[in-house]
Amino acid sequence: MIAPKKNKTKKVGAVLVIGGGIAGIQAALDLAETGQKVYLLESSPAIGGNMARLDKTFPTNDCATCILSPKLVEAGRHLNIELLTCAELEAIEGGPGNFTVTIKVEPRYVDPEKCTGCGLCAKVDVPEPEDIIEHDGEHWVKRINIDEVKCVQCGDCSRACEKENPEKSAMTSVYEQQTHAAVAEPDQAHSAAELKKVREMSEQQRREYWAEQMEKCMKCYGCRDVCPVFVDAECRLQDWAVPGHLPPAPLYHIARAYHVAERCTHCGFCEQTCPSNLPLRTLVDFIRHEEPHKLFTFVPNATEKQKTKIIAAFPGRKEGEASYD
Amino acid sequence: MTDEFVLTTCPFCGCGCNFYLVVVDGRAVDVAPCFTDRISLGRLCIKGRQAYEFIHSSDRLTVPLIRKDGKLAEADWDEALDLVAERLSHIKQANGADSIGLLSSAKCTNEENFLLQKFARAVVGTNNVDHCARLCHASTVVGLVAAFGSGAMTNSIPEVTEADCILVTGSNTIEQHPLIGTRVLEAKARGATLIVIDPRETPLSAQADIFLRQKPGTDVAWLNGFMNVIINEGLADEHFIKERTEGFENLKNTVANYSPEKAHEITGIDAEQLRDAARAYAKAGSAMILYSMGITQHSTGTNNVKSVANLAMLTGNVGKPSSGVNPLRGQNNVQGACDMGALPNVYSGYQKVADAAVREKFEKVWAKSLPDGPGLTVVEMINAAQAGEVKAMYIMGENPMLSDPDINHVRRALQNLEFLIVQDIFLTETAELADVVLPSACFAEKEGTFTNTDRTVLRVRKAVEPPGQARPDWRIICDLAKRLDGDSFGYDNAEAVMNEITEVTPSYGGMSFERLDKGEVLAWPCPDVKSGGTKFLHKDKFARGLGCFHGIEYQPTAEETDEQYPFILTTGRTMFHYHTGSMTRRITLLDHEVPTGYMEMNPADAKRMQVKDGEMLQVKSRRGHIEIAAKITGRVPQNTVFIPFHFVECAANVLTSPVLDPDAKIPVLKVCAVSVEKKS
Repeated sequence: MIAPKKNKTKKVGAVLVIGGGIAGIQAALDLAETGQKVYLLESSPAIGGNMARLDKTFPTNDCATCILSPKLVEAGRHLNIELLTCAELEAIEGGPGNFTVTIKVEPRYVDPEKCTGCGLCAKVDVPEPEDIIEHDGEHWVKRINIDEVKCVQCGDCSRACEKENPEKSAMTSVYEQQTHAAVAEPDQAHSAAELKKVREMSEQQRREYWAEQMEKCMKCYGCRDVCPVFVDAECRLQDWAVPGHLPPAPLYHIARAYHVAERCTHCGFCEQTCPSNLPLRTLVDFIRHEEPHKLFTFVPNATEKQKTKIIAAFPGRKEGEASYD
Repeated sequence: MTDEFVLTTCPFCGCGCNFYLVVVDGRAVDVAPCFTDRISLGRLCIKGRQAYEFIHSSDRLTVPLIRKDGKLAEADWDEALDLVAERLSHIKQANGADSIGLLSSAKCTNEENFLLQKFARAVVGTNNVDHCARLCHASTVVGLVAAFGSGAMTNSIPEVTEADCILVTGSNTIEQHPLIGTRVLEAKARGATLIVIDPRETPLSAQADIFLRQKPGTDVAWLNGFMNVIINEGLADEHFIKERTEGFENLKNTVANYSPEKAHEITGIDAEQLRDAARAYAKAGSAMILYSMGITQHSTGTNNVKSVANLAMLTGNVGKPSSGVNPLRGQNNVQGACDMGALPNVYSGYQKVADAAVREKFEKVWAKSLPDGPGLTVVEMINAAQAGEVKAMYIMGENPMLSDPDINHVRRALQNLEFLIVQDIFLTETAELADVVLPSACFAEKEGTFTNTDRTVLRVRKAVEPPGQARPDWRIICDLAKRLDGDSFGYDNAEAVMNEITEVTPSYGGMSFERLDKGEVLAWPCPDVKSGGTKFLHKDKFARGLGCFHGIEYQPTAEETDEQYPFILTTGRTMFHYHTGSMTRRITLLDHEVPTGYMEMNPADAKRMQVKDGEMLQVKSRRGHIEIAAKITGRVPQNTVFIPFHFVECAANVLTSPVLDPDAKIPVLKVCAVSVEKKS
C-alpha cells in the first residue's frame, strides 16, 4: 500500500496510471519522459495486456509484439516508472493535483528478480489443473498467479522450481512464513495427497472414511480455538454437537469447515493441535474444491439418491444411537 | 494494556501437559497450546483449553473465614492463624499429637506437599498425613513395590507411540488421560495391536482390535487366564524369568487352575477371545500395559496390581522401551504428592518412617524428634474422627465430602471433630463444615513444580496475583508453623523448599528450578546434577533386585449383588469434568457439556423396568440413596449402572462402600450393590 500523504493542498509530482495494457504503458512512458514519477498499476501478474495476444495490428498490419516488446522493456527499465503488479485500486481520496489512493497488493509467491519464466512450476501435477491454467500460452503467468481459494499449498510448484534452479529458487513458498521455529512444519504434501485420495473415492468409500476419522474426535474445540480465521460469534460450534456426548456428530466438523473454507490460510494449526490427528485441512480442502452451491442445493422431499451432495458425502447417525444422542 | 504468555502446567489430569496462560492486564484470559511441549505437542483436551476460566471466578475465597455462632464470618489473617495455632496446640496438649490428622493435596505443588508433611511430622508431631492417592493408586504403590520395588509408571508417555501392542484395562484413557489416549491412537495407526479390557464401552474400546468385557471386580481371574494361556503355549520369556525374577513356580502353580474356560465362568469373557488376546500380547515385540482405577479401586486392588505385574514379567515386558506396567495417575500432582511423602508411612522419596536410620537423617536435617510408626490413612482418619480418636483435622485442597466413599459417614465424622481447618480456593462441600477456612492460591498464582504420571517434574509458574487476601499454600503453612514453632519454616520462596527437597530425597537429588527452567526433561530417579533423569525404570535390574512373582487366587469382591440390591454400581469420571467439580463446574463450556449427573443404564434393563431416557430414578445402596436422571446407553453391560462422581446434587459416593483393601487401604469405589427404583 502507498502511504497517504499528509498535506492535501500541495501538488505532488507523481501520476498513477491504472491498467498496464499498451495504452497504459504508452501513457506511463510519455509521462515519465516529462519528469513525472509514474506508478503503473496492473491487476494481473504482468504488464502487457491484450496486445500480446494479437498477431497483427490495425491499420499498419505491423507485428503486435514488435510494437509492444520494446515498450515493455522500456517501461520495466525506466527509472521514473514504478510497476505495481498483482495490485488493484481500492479507494481514491483528495482532489486534482493531490490524490491519495489505497492499493491492495496480492501476494505473488514468486520473486520476479529471479524468475526465468521456465514454466516448470505450472506443469506439476495439481489436484485440479484446469482450475488454475485457463489459457494455453499463459501457463506460467497463471501458475504464479496462484488461486488462493483453490491452492492446497502442496508445495510441488516450489519444489519444481528448486529442481530447475537449485542455487536460487524463485518460488517463495507460502508456508515458510507460518512455521514456528522449533516446531515440525505442517506436512503440506501429505495434506494434498490425502485430498487427492478423498476426491478419488466413491461416495460410499468417502462416507466410511469420514465416519472412521470423525469417530476419533475428542471434542476439545481446539480446531476452533486455535484457528486464526474462525469467528465463533457467527457459528456457535458447541450448538452443533450434542452436549456431553462423544464423539460429536459429523455435522459439527462440517459446520466448522464451512465457516473457515473461504478464509482458510492452510496454516495447519488445526491439524497440529488436534489430539485425535484428524485430517481437518483435508476436510476444508474437500469443501473448497466442491462447488458450494452444488453441495448445498436442496431438493424438497428428496429420495436417498437425490439428497444434497454434502449430506451424501458424510456419515449419518449410527443405528440405535438415537436413544441417547 | 499489557499482555504476557506464561508457560505453566495443566492443573487437571496426570498427563502433565504444558501450555501458555494468556494474561492480559493481570487477568488470565485464554490458554494457548505449546507446540514444543514433549507431552502435548500443542494438542490439548477440552479441560486443558478452558483451564483459565475458574481462576477469576467470582466465588473464589478471598478472605479467611472463622465460624462464629454457627456461621462462617470474615476475619483477617492474624486472627485466623492465631486461632488455628491456639486450638491445635491445645488439642495436641490435651489428647496427644496423634489426635490430629492432616490431609495433603494432589492438586498442590511438590513444595507444598513437602511442607505439609514436614509440618505434620516436625511441628505437630504425627504421621497422620495422607492425601487422595489413597483413593486412587494406593494399591499400585503397594502392589508394584512388592513386585518391582518402585510404585510408579515404569515407562514414559512418548514411548506409548512406539509400542507394538497396548493392553488397556480399567482405564477410560481417551476421556481421562486424553493426551495419552492420543498416543495410543497414534500407535494403533502405526500398526500396533490395541487390546481393551473393560466392563464399560469407552471411546477407546471403539478403536480396539480386541475388546473384552469382564464382570466388574473379576480382574484377577482374566489376568490368571491370560497367564495360563501364555505358559501353556510356551509364549513366556524363559530367559527373562530365569535371570531377572523369583517366585515363578508359585505363579505357575496358581495359574494352572485358571484355564480360559474357568476364567470365562468367573468373568464372562469368551475363552477363545481371551486366548487370542493373550497370544497377541505375548507375541508382540514390545507390549505396554496401561491401567487405572478399574484395576486399583477394589477390595482386591493390590492383588489386581500384582497380577498385572506378573503378566508383564512373564513376557519379559519390563525394563525396555515401550513396555512395562503403566498406572496412569489421575491428578496433576498425585505422583508428586506421593513422592514428597504426604503418606502416613514414608518420608519423601518413599523412605520408610519405620526405618530408624532414615528417621535419624530427617531428625538431623529438621532438628526435631520425629514420631515413629506409620500414621492413619484417609479412610482410617475419617473412621477415627467418627470414633472420637482424631479430634482435629487440617485439610489442604481436598474435598472428602465428595471424593471419599460413603459421604454420609464422612459428614458425621467431620461434624464430630472438635476443630476442622480447610484450606482451599473455593468454599467446597468440606469447607462448609469447617471451623476455619483459609483462602489459598490456585495453580496460576504460585511458583512450584508438579510431577506428572511418567515421573517428570514440571514447572508451575505464577501468571496472575491471588484474589483478595488469598495466599499460596506454602506461605500459609509457613505462617502457621511460625506461630507454633518459631523460625524452622523460614522459606523465602518455593525454590528454597525445592532445595531442601533435593537435599533429603535421593530420587530428586539432581533437580533444581534452574535446570527445569532451562527446559531439561527430568524424570526421577535423578540422583545428582549430572543425571539427566530416567526414561524407563528397571532397565538392567529391578529396584528391589529381582522381580517378584506373586501367585494370586481370585477372590470375589467385597459386596455382591443380591435380590434387594440387584445392580452393580461402578463409578468414574466424564471427559468434561474433573473430580469433585470445584474447578470444572465453574467453567462455562464444560458446564454446558455436562451440567449435572446422570446414571448410565443398559437399554435392556431400561426396557425391563420401563425407564425412559432422562427419567428421574431413585438409587439406593446399603449406605444411602440419591435421585438421578437415567441415561440409556449400551456403554454399560446389563445389570450394571455407572454414575460419574463429580456432582454434589447426585453424589455417587453417597452409595459407595468404605470397605478397604487390606494391604493398601484403598476403598472399593468401583463396585457396590445398588437397587434402582422409579420415583413414586
